[in-house]
Amino acid sequence: MTNHDLLLTWDKDPFVIGVAVLGLVAYAIHRRSHLGKRALFFAVAWLVFVLALASPIGVLAHGYLFSAHMLQHILLVLIVPPLVLLSLPPVSTSSASTQGVGRFLVPWLLGVGAMWFWHAPMLCDAASRSVSVQRLQTVSLVAMGSAFWWPIIGPRLAHRFAAFPAMVYLFTACAACTILGILVTFSPTEVCSVYASPVDRLGVLPLVRDGWGLTPSADQEIGGLMMWVPGCLIYAVSILAMYARYSRDEAEAPALSKDPT
Amino acid sequence: MTTAPIHVQAEGEVDHVHSHATGAYGWFATVDHKRIGILYLLTALFFFAVGGGEALLMRLQLARPEAKILAPDTYNQMFTMHGTTMIFLVVMPTLVGFANYFVPLMIGARDMAFPRLNAMSYWLFPFGGALLHFSFLAGGAPNAGWFSYAPLSETPYSSTSGTDYWVLALLVLGIGSVAGGINIIATVITLRAPGLTIRRLPLFVWMTFITAILIILALPVLNAALVMLLIDRQMDAHFFQATGGGAAILWQHFFWTFGHPEVYIMALPAFGMISEIIPVFSRKPIFGYEFVAGSTLAIAVLSFGVWAHHMFAAGLGHRADLAFAGASMLIAIPTGVKIFNWIATMWGGTLRFTTAMYFAVAFLLEFVIGGLSGITFAAAPISWQMTDTYYVVAHFHYVLFGGTALAIFGAVYYWFPKMTGKLLSERIGRWHFWLTIIGFNLTFFVQHILGMLGMPRRVYTYPDLPHWGLLNMVSTVGAFAMALSVLVFVWNVVHSLRRGEPAGNNPWDAWTLEWATTSPPAHDNFAKVPPVRGRRPLWDLDPKNNGRTTGAITKLRVFDKAAVGMWAFIASETAFFIILIITFVFFNASTKEAAAHLDVKTTAMFSVCLFSSSFTIHMSEKALSQGKQSAFRGWLAATVLLGGTFMVGQASEYRKLLTNGLDVNTNLFATTFFTLTGFHGLHVTIGLIALAVLLGLAFAGDFTKDKRASAFKAVGLYWHFVDVVWIAVFSVVYLRNLA
Repeated sequence: MTNHDLLLTWDKDPFVIGVAVLGLVAYAIHRRSHLGKRALFFAVAWLVFVLALASPIGVLAHGYLFSAHMLQHILLVLIVPPLVLLSLPPVSTSSASTQGVGRFLVPWLLGVGAMWFWHAPMLCDAASRSVSVQRLQTVSLVAMGSAFWWPIIGPRLAHRFAAFPAMVYLFTACAACTILGILVTFSPTEVCSVYASPVDRLGVLPLVRDGWGLTPSADQEIGGLMMWVPGCLIYAVSILAMYARYSRDEAEAPALSKDPT
Repeated sequence: MTTAPIHVQAEGEVDHVHSHATGAYGWFATVDHKRIGILYLLTALFFFAVGGGEALLMRLQLARPEAKILAPDTYNQMFTMHGTTMIFLVVMPTLVGFANYFVPLMIGARDMAFPRLNAMSYWLFPFGGALLHFSFLAGGAPNAGWFSYAPLSETPYSSTSGTDYWVLALLVLGIGSVAGGINIIATVITLRAPGLTIRRLPLFVWMTFITAILIILALPVLNAALVMLLIDRQMDAHFFQATGGGAAILWQHFFWTFGHPEVYIMALPAFGMISEIIPVFSRKPIFGYEFVAGSTLAIAVLSFGVWAHHMFAAGLGHRADLAFAGASMLIAIPTGVKIFNWIATMWGGTLRFTTAMYFAVAFLLEFVIGGLSGITFAAAPISWQMTDTYYVVAHFHYVLFGGTALAIFGAVYYWFPKMTGKLLSERIGRWHFWLTIIGFNLTFFVQHILGMLGMPRRVYTYPDLPHWGLLNMVSTVGAFAMALSVLVFVWNVVHSLRRGEPAGNNPWDAWTLEWATTSPPAHDNFAKVPPVRGRRPLWDLDPKNNGRTTGAITKLRVFDKAAVGMWAFIASETAFFIILIITFVFFNASTKEAAAHLDVKTTAMFSVCLFSSSFTIHMSEKALSQGKQSAFRGWLAATVLLGGTFMVGQASEYRKLLTNGLDVNTNLFATTFFTLTGFHGLHVTIGLIALAVLLGLAFAGDFTKDKRASAFKAVGLYWHFVDVVWIAVFSVVYLRNLA
């Protein structure tokens, strides 16, 4: 198989196609009367979703390359959910959100858990072996990702964190993912044994091993670095976005209190 | 309407901690942030002379090829002490000193949030400096370089006690810095004057605040690594020694995880000074405030992700090099943004070239050179070629002297009038300035070329190769010019203190709050704090000025300073434990050893005690807030009991392991196990002591719903933290064996 052949190898999993079509239809119905700029976010999210799962990235992630798997993972947790949330129009509700540490901790644990949980060696292998576990993984990643991003850019304004708590939330999540990235990068043992000795169902392996020169350990290192460096940059960019939002909001805010003089 | 001042911080709120002792004793006993600030600056100036003297000795030795002024080992001690002194005893304390003096003034507060803690932070600084220099008397100063790479810093290769003193001194200084960082964070969050929202914060305060966050997160990483090195050296363990299965590269990772943010710890406050000086002497507000402030945030966040660019030559592999080269180059963007903002601030302004402004403009030029050579290092192939040559020495001196030191000199000229009531002499100032600039560029510019010619750094002498002798001589001459400039500076300070022109409250017609009070400020800083409606409160006061802001005096959210301080401390401790946990995982990829030695069931039982103590302390807090005194005491006593039981469990486990012959230095499992659980145990013990004190006070009736409840809550937070750490430690050390 050549590079060109690989580019044409797409996964035609009915589940992925089904979810994609369903998502598109649901969004179109939900927003039928006012498809504005926000629809663009959805379109990009949709494209990324399809690319992550059905394109050669998805093909390679399915049992061939840990690094492709990691890319898929990052796209599903850190790119697709925030874009989908941005595609929904903001709603100001008067319902105050719940208070307390849980409001901060639960989405944080879900978002960071999405990264850590599926990289426990046992689960990582299970997801690569069984199609149903893999589907569960896909759904859970997007769901946990959405829960994580909900208090940052979710459509319910009352549920959003203030800028500075949001920055702490993102920074600590970034740190947690960085640590995972470091562990994966430098781990002497493989995280997912499946990728160490792939079953070559499509005949891609010679291209990957000989053509690209990717040994299993190099592959895992790239995966770890992906989570570590670009993964962390996504959080870093969001922190700056929070600062930008804070600057803008306060500049626009009317006088909040009476003049004490 | 604009001129009516408003009160801050109720009278008496801070006075009870103020010592009113006078004379020399008053300086020793002081908890006044201004005096502590000045103590920081003077002590740092003293160490600047020491570190500078060491540099001069090195330059004398290097002036000619094959010189024999310093013995090789003495030379190694000199460069180690020079680097360590300049970073930990000069640059950091100077910046902390300015922060101490000016952050409270600039935010309209009367003092730092924790004045006594502030005094402790300061006194740890001369203590650390004394420890470091005591090594000279104890068999030789440290000689393994300021980053003390393992295994060179390990006992077989550094057998004198110099490195031990180095470790201890840095630990002491690190603890002081973290305490200082916590104090700055709590001060900025809780003590701002009404109207001073984060968005209106003077940039020096904002950047110092971000620096404080970097300090509390980065210094613990160094502290953890230092502790491991000390355990290696004192207890024959092998964290960083390949002979016992350890990994020398781990030291490099930990050191630069601290070391790269450290670069910004030393740079950001300097950026803040420049961001105050340039607008005032350009008669314009800073151009693009949000971009300057936001780019600071970007630098801070990125700084934790790029340390490996210090390790391109360490053999991380092409893939890691590539990732870090890319990430490192990104940092050039927010830094470049700042440079352009400063230039744009001057553009079209009414420039007033005072000595402070001279230094600020020189900072721009010299720092850009240092920044550009920094970008060349982000390219891994250039780094391979240039690393450990004089090109590196040139680069970081352009950043730290051309950048930070020039900004500090600028800040001294700018703020000296506020601190003393006297203006520094502009005439002597020009001499100081030009001597500094000429000396600095002579010294370090030629070192770029020496580096490209291949002269390695940290060599005590060199062969007589073409141009090497001449370039080194130029560098040495420059160094002496710099030394002369420092003498001129000191003369200016002494002269101006005696005969300087009186400064008045606001000699520069500046607009931040520190200029609203007398020079020097009274003990309590302000009688009344002017209203803050925008970023330039004093500018807004004068009806003659155009473009006055008429924003509202926003009411600020009130935060409890004990809680803020404790959260900052917890963040810092988290960083410390993360390093210990990572080290445990790194050395225990296989759980064989742990499974052979540890009794999961027994420890699980004792762990339940610790976890349930989180519940009891929560109940205790609840009882306190409801005013149920006896329930409050009962739950608190239960907490102490449960925590004590856990410690008994830990002690019995240690006893069993030790009697079975498993000692700290037996193998890496034992080393990492005892280090991690030992430090957790230490934290539990400290928590227990605190709780026992609280219990005593509780029985004395010291706590009620309104009295000291926040102090109790802060200790409670700490206790929860200790429990959460144990969840992590227990999972990693014990539960992993079951999987």
